[in-house]
Amino acid sequence: MYKGLLVTLASLWLAGCVDTNWRTAETHEIMPPLDFSLVDEDGQAVEAEDYAGKVTLVYFGYTFCPDVCPITLARLAGTLNRLDDDVRDAIQVLFITVDPARDTPEVVKRYTGAFGDEFTGITGERAEIDALTNRMRVTYEYETPNKRGDYIVNHTSAVFAFDREGEARFLIRDSHPITDAVADINQLVTES
Amino acid sequence: MVSNLLNTFRRLAGGMLVMLLTAGYAYGQDVQVTDARVSLLPGEQPGAGYFQLYNAGDEAVVLVGAESDAFESVELHVSSNQDGMAHMQAVEQVEIAPGERFAFAPKGHHLMLIGREKALKVGDEVDVQLEFADDQRLSVTFDVVSPVSL
Ligand SMILES: [Cu+2]
Repeated sequence: MYKGLLVTLASLWLAGCVDTNWRTAETHEIMPPLDFSLVDEDGQAVEAEDYAGKVTLVYFGYTFCPDVCPITLARLAGTLNRLDDDVRDAIQVLFITVDPARDTPEVVKRYTGAFGDEFTGITGERAEIDALTNRMRVTYEYETPNKRGDYIVNHTSAVFAFDREGEARFLIRDSHPITDAVADINQLVTES
Repeated sequence: MVSNLLNTFRRLAGGMLVMLLTAGYAYGQDVQVTDARVSLLPGEQPGAGYFQLYNAGDEAVVLVGAESDAFESVELHVSSNQDGMAHMQAVEQVEIAPGERFAFAPKGHHLMLIGREKALKVGDEVDVQLEFADDQRLSVTFDVVSPVSL
């Protein structure tokens, strides 16, 4: 028992030297810093640097999605609710649409408003969104529209975490328990 | 005092259970629908319908569609996660064997309710007709909820 504890402590101490001690999935080695030129939910041109200073959680989705996107954002809101107020104040969530034709600033603003003050909707030129998703190796694809003109967009389902300087640190998958996301976000906020 | 409270709670819980079970009363009482909720956000975005379906009969039932006066169209959909990609697609039908339960639940099967015919808010109720293969229909009352509550 004591031996097991010592091994655990030793591995924690060792892990502290590299950026791989996340309970979720490490991204620092595989993903570039956050970088974009897009439009925020108030219609203002924004750059990634405008969001420096806080921990940023990024989710790519589209508002026509009734199930996965709202449920993921609701789960993220539930995750943030488990953090202390001062930790939460140091976090912002960017919902970046991959469907700017339907997701105008007004639409993403109303949509993200349902999840909490930390949530901001981001839209922009399709080419700029593609530049960002290509850099992050995030994929999405449009399906053929139906008779009504509605179309489904399949998209990456993870939530990406960036530190206050915009460096990629970890990503949260559906399969990660909320307690792991809470622990990692807490650590990311308090490390700096 | 405590036992009084407990009894009151039991009566309330029992009443709620009866209400839930009778939400989908009809169709020979063989098909029972419970926990029916429509997850909606402010605006014009589509909603998602979730519910539990129980086939209490001795023959398979096949859900083939749904419609509602409150929406332009209602489709049977399924969400899935393939290699970290969220996919969604329409499904033609869902078959439930005798004695089986089937859940329409977040990030799985759901009703996709598109094009609101009237304004809806959390706390409202929406009637949806579930359509089965043998031309049977079941009217189910869904509670409008926020996805944040799921
Ligand atoms: Cu759907």
